[in-house]
Amino acid sequence: MTHSRRWLRLLAIVAVTVVGLSFRLRAVDRLPIDFDEDDYLLAAQRYAQDLRDGNWADIVNWDYNYEHPPLTKLAYGAAVLPWPPSEPISQVSSSAPPARSLPQPHFTISRLLSATFGTLAVLALALLDPLAAFFLAIHTWQIKYTSQIMLEPLPALTSTLMVLCYAQSRRVGGSMFREGGPRPALRNAQIFWLILSAIALGLTAASKYTYCIAGIAIVVDWLWATLTPRPPLPTGKVPSGEGEPKARGRAIVRWLAPVLAWGLLAIVVFVIADPRLWNDPVGRLVQSVAYHADYAQSLHVKQAGYPTWQPLVWLSGPVPWHPGVFVLPLDLFVSLLAVAGLRRMWRSSSQRVLVIWLFMALGFLLWWNTKWPQYILTLTVPLTVAAAHGFAERVWEPFLGWWQRVQVTGLRWTMTRQPDTRRAFAWLLPGLIALSLFTIFPLVYQGAMALTDFNAISIKDGIQGGIWRETWKGLTGQVAPARVDLFSTQPSKEVHYVGPSLLTQLFTGLGADILFFNVMWTALSVILQTTLGVGAALMLNRRGVWLTGWWRTIFIVPWAIPEFVGAVIWLRMFVPRYGWFNQALPAEIRAPPLDNINYAVGVLLLSALWYGFPFILLAATAAFKLFPPEVDDAAAIDGAAGWARFRHVTWPLLWPLLAPAIIIRAIFAFNQFYLFFVMDPPFPLLTFATLSYYLFNPSYGGLFAVSAAINIFTVVVLVGLILWFNRVSKAGEGVAYA
Amino acid sequence: MRKLRSWQQLLYQLGLAALAFFVLAPVWGLAYLAFDGGVYGWPTEFRVWPEQFTFSVFRELWARPAQTLSFLGTLRNSLIVAGGAALLSVALGAGMAYAFARFRFPGRQVGLFGLLVGALLPPVALMTPLYVLLTALQIRTTLFGLMVVYTAFAMPFCIWNMRAAFQSVPKELEESAFLDGAGAFTAFWRVTLPLALPSIAIAGLIAFLIGYSEFALGWLFVDKGDNVTLAMAVSGMLSTSNFYASRLAALAIMMSLPVVIIFMILQRSLLSGLLIGVTEE
Repeated sequence: MTHSRRWLRLLAIVAVTVVGLSFRLRAVDRLPIDFDEDDYLLAAQRYAQDLRDGNWADIVNWDYNYEHPPLTKLAYGAAVLPWPPSEPISQVSSSAPPARSLPQPHFTISRLLSATFGTLAVLALALLDPLAAFFLAIHTWQIKYTSQIMLEPLPALTSTLMVLCYAQSRRVGGSMFREGGPRPALRNAQIFWLILSAIALGLTAASKYTYCIAGIAIVVDWLWATLTPRPPLPTGKVPSGEGEPKARGRAIVRWLAPVLAWGLLAIVVFVIADPRLWNDPVGRLVQSVAYHADYAQSLHVKQAGYPTWQPLVWLSGPVPWHPGVFVLPLDLFVSLLAVAGLRRMWRSSSQRVLVIWLFMALGFLLWWNTKWPQYILTLTVPLTVAAAHGFAERVWEPFLGWWQRVQVTGLRWTMTRQPDTRRAFAWLLPGLIALSLFTIFPLVYQGAMALTDFNAISIKDGIQGGIWRETWKGLTGQVAPARVDLFSTQPSKEVHYVGPSLLTQLFTGLGADILFFNVMWTALSVILQTTLGVGAALMLNRRGVWLTGWWRTIFIVPWAIPEFVGAVIWLRMFVPRYGWFNQALPAEIRAPPLDNINYAVGVLLLSALWYGFPFILLAATAAFKLFPPEVDDAAAIDGAAGWARFRHVTWPLLWPLLAPAIIIRAIFAFNQFYLFFVMDPPFPLLTFATLSYYLFNPSYGGLFAVSAAINIFTVVVLVGLILWFNRVSKAGEGVAYA
Repeated sequence: MRKLRSWQQLLYQLGLAALAFFVLAPVWGLAYLAFDGGVYGWPTEFRVWPEQFTFSVFRELWARPAQTLSFLGTLRNSLIVAGGAALLSVALGAGMAYAFARFRFPGRQVGLFGLLVGALLPPVALMTPLYVLLTALQIRTTLFGLMVVYTAFAMPFCIWNMRAAFQSVPKELEESAFLDGAGAFTAFWRVTLPLALPSIAIAGLIAFLIGYSEFALGWLFVDKGDNVTLAMAVSGMLSTSNFYASRLAALAIMMSLPVVIIFMILQRSLLSGLLIGVTEE
């Protein structure tokens, strides 16, 4: 690293930390009092009193909020210690709304401590990667929960430190885990970093249990990294057969011992840092952890009604509740960049542990029933590091490449006159007129609508030109954007220009629930339909199978049935009380009603599969006929070599021919309407097309402008998805199916 | 070629039969209601076969499926709008598809991609603009208006599909037509079009299906009982307060049957049409 680069890096670290701090201070100042803040401040007050009185017995034995280890709460207590005690905070039930006000300055002091921990985490990450730290600094969920009096700030910091120290130890002596080992100096440095990480793990466990997932990730990574193929034993040293198992046993011990020692140190630190465990450690730990298992099944959690994939929804958009607090709501983009950067992060051996951390935490959050948003802070750190990799790979490096090309060749806009333009024009004209009228005009009109507050009340003004008038005035700066709540019908009979605020909100995460579901829905439907469609095509095209014509005729029936009727058919199967499926089951086993989200998703997917697979079946059948004749009986995938044959011969040939059909099915799935309209599943099981229809429909409110904004958003998302798929599949254009 | 052993044949047949069950069972779940006749609301008990087998509902619906029209009346409306949409989108789109297939001109790539996106906009994306447009043209409540609306949906898709078909016709055939003294249009009309016909038929069929099964826009635009289409009638039955399952089921079947029959007859050309669709440029 050159001198100037080092300074640049230092500058970046400072800048990012300042950004992190200032955004958190802003949040400390502006965020309303949230659930649980009163509980933790209450604990802080009591701990402060205990510390003041030297009453350690109370610290050890007080069982308030025993489900969470006390270290963070103790920290808050220490923070408010210098101030005179305030009037006690009253305890309320956990389902009550957040407290109206909390005693000052204790409240602000505690929040400032929270923000300090949050900023320190940013600083720590900045030492590894300033860009990742920047993403962490602006991540709205991270800001929210590291500026309120929550349990997250401290374990978020310590778990970050734990993994960073571990990664550092991997870096200083990349070969130390191998046989032979590094030079002693390196080895000492490495052990130093490992001890630090064990201490951090202990502190993490004493602050909040879930963050220990990072510790498990370390163990996995460590064991994996040291699981090298056993060095071949020098033949001379193995005189008898008995030496072999013994040597293997020793190798296993040598493999596990350092990890165990590390874990033991962490446990010691944990017990020291968690005063409640000083008395009856095992019993109290079990009691504390067991609480969470019960809570996950409690009514409180069930009533929240979050679907299994809710953590991913939290990651698909910024905090939706506090307008005006967060300056850069880029959470969705951080998540997308993270997806793009995963592969690259995996390739860096010292950062592999972060990938493991990310996936373990995500897996846990998906599996665990309690889905509170603050839980995603267990994975924001690896997420932002991945995002930094994604940014480097997908944004920065392509930009650099482009820039270098520009510097070499100069910026040229070449417009080579194409030979056929004039001839083509005559052929294009009729279609062009029709298309501009029926497709392009509507799109432009939608764009204009999306900038106004057009709705059922102002319909007359709107369709008589009000939309154009207002949009024109707004875009030319003649009127300022009106401030209106777009989601309630305005009494005004005139359309107003409101500016692109709704669109920007949509692009930064408004409707993240639906966006996530819609994308997931598209992916799952297409995968299922492709699997079944290709499977059926393989069966039908295996030479020697009887009656294939008949079977195929049966299989294409769903395609011929109008989608709307198909939806009714499946509603009849699964309608909550009167479904055929339910009636066929014995009375004791009844399928859950459709407002059970996970069940409803299954039903919807099944219906979509039924409706969609024939299309893929036909496309695959057609593709088989185009296979080069040398590929003898491509559909013969039975037998021992069958799978390998499919994998290496059939699928690679099939894929490019099938990709366009998959794109078309994907767009249909993304815009699926009739199925959702007929089945009417619970929120957030909704496609944007359906939502847009409901919002548009005058009997549901007639919010035309909102509907239009959603349509514009849909088009952009679809374009993005298709471009991405094209890149992945390299399908290219030039192919189309019916 | 390896021959199938008999147990393998059995496995294949079992697998195919299971799939056929998955395809047909839900259909029957609805269909038997139609033959029962007496199922008001949703049925409350499990039944595989109707209690009393009857065609009475079908007869009733034949006479009057919607408020003022006979079945044939609604079917006629459906055929007018769906068939009209299919013809319009094929006719208006053919030239454009041909240009995309044969000529190089600026914006070609972007245009092709734009077509794909435009092809599959969500239905409501076109509602208000078309509402405004059709009101201005004073055809909003007419069948012709609906036809235009469905054309708007189907046209980009038709262009996309027909382009692939035209592309698969070898250029040399046209060139030899030129040598015989044919003009550009004659060559297209006499040589390329007939060869691409199966695919064009498919494009038309898809456009037909879009128009045939659409009802949401229909209900928004149409305000006369005389202009109700079949899909609108079926959807109306679902949302009505005195819900009558047998009627809904019967009408759904009567609506689907013509299309299913067409598809079965066309199965072979459907496949070959798809075949043309996949040839790369």
